[in-house]
Amino acid sequence: MTVGAQVKQTLAELKGIQANLETFAQSGGNEEANALLLKNARRVGQVIEKMEKRLSNLEFEEPQYKGF
Amino acid sequence: MSEWLNTLLRSAGLFILTLLLVRLIGKRLTSRPTFFDLVTGIAIGVIAAALSLNMVQNFTVGLVALGVWTVFPALFYLLGIKYKAVRDILRGKEIVLINHGKVLEDKLLESRLTAEDLLGQLRKKNVFNFADVEFAVLEPDGELSVLLNKEKQPATPKTLGLDVGRESVPQTVMLDGVIMDEPLAAMGLNRRWLHTELAKAGVAPENVFLAQVDSLGQLYLDLFDDSIQVPKPRARERVYASLKKCQADCELYALATRNPEAGKMYAESARLLEQAVRELEPLLTR
Repeated sequence: MTVGAQVKQTLAELKGIQANLETFAQSGGNEEANALLLKNARRVGQVIEKMEKRLSNLEFEEPQYKGF
Repeated sequence: MSEWLNTLLRSAGLFILTLLLVRLIGKRLTSRPTFFDLVTGIAIGVIAAALSLNMVQNFTVGLVALGVWTVFPALFYLLGIKYKAVRDILRGKEIVLINHGKVLEDKLLESRLTAEDLLGQLRKKNVFNFADVEFAVLEPDGELSVLLNKEKQPATPKTLGLDVGRESVPQTVMLDGVIMDEPLAAMGLNRRWLHTELAKAGVAPENVFLAQVDSLGQLYLDLFDDSIQVPKPRARERVYASLKKCQADCELYALATRNPEAGKMYAESARLLEQAVRELEPLLTR
């Protein structure tokens, strides 16, 4: 597996985590817990942004591995 | 009027009268009676019984006695709510029997308890060694309340220095196979969500005996058919595990890349994810 593919996999997993955290926060329950979940969902979102930027660089450097 | 008819009418009348009078006193007599409550109860009972069997020469005098024994306690209980002095006389005061781990013998004598009584009361509280007790107090109703030494108290997350996730009560969304709409709405969910979750678990709605949703929206099921094993929801643990995996991945990329800028970016990501792991651990794993 190329580095690009690995990073893509991690990225997909991170997106899944973010979605899950947001779902947990949606299910009501405790205000404090919800705030914590949303805060960390945002944190994961930051990481996702960084990774996506890096991924576009990678794809630029190795165009043969472009795509999903 | 024949004797038995007389007794019948009198008893029935007294029955209703006593019922009404006792209502005056309230619930205090039945929940954990103190000694005084018992005396009152017995007095009322005896007077009513004596009256109904015509053992009192003057019926009116008996009624007065009954009235006094019901109205007075009711009055005193009301006064007791307002004045502490009345309350102390009525209920008695609690007596400290063990303080700072030492048995107070004079207090024991005051409450007419022997050493065996004290040990027996402690045993009922699962304390077999009196040295484990920091503080014990005899409540007015005769119950002993015990505070154990700090090191003998059951461990709680707080004493262990653990942070645990804040959680609200789970809502029961299905009872006996019937969907409860109100608790579902309270969680911000609806029937369609429930049907989707049941389909995910591979369970027919009519087979569900109990279903509860916890504060993170996970569904816990109990089925009528006990031979079917329902998998426990593990979404929290899964999210936690994959979060840790991603963090490890980022660290790996940081080491593997030869581009210094990318290395810095990966290290920063790993740090962010580590913070997330640390903050979410109590909520997702405990």
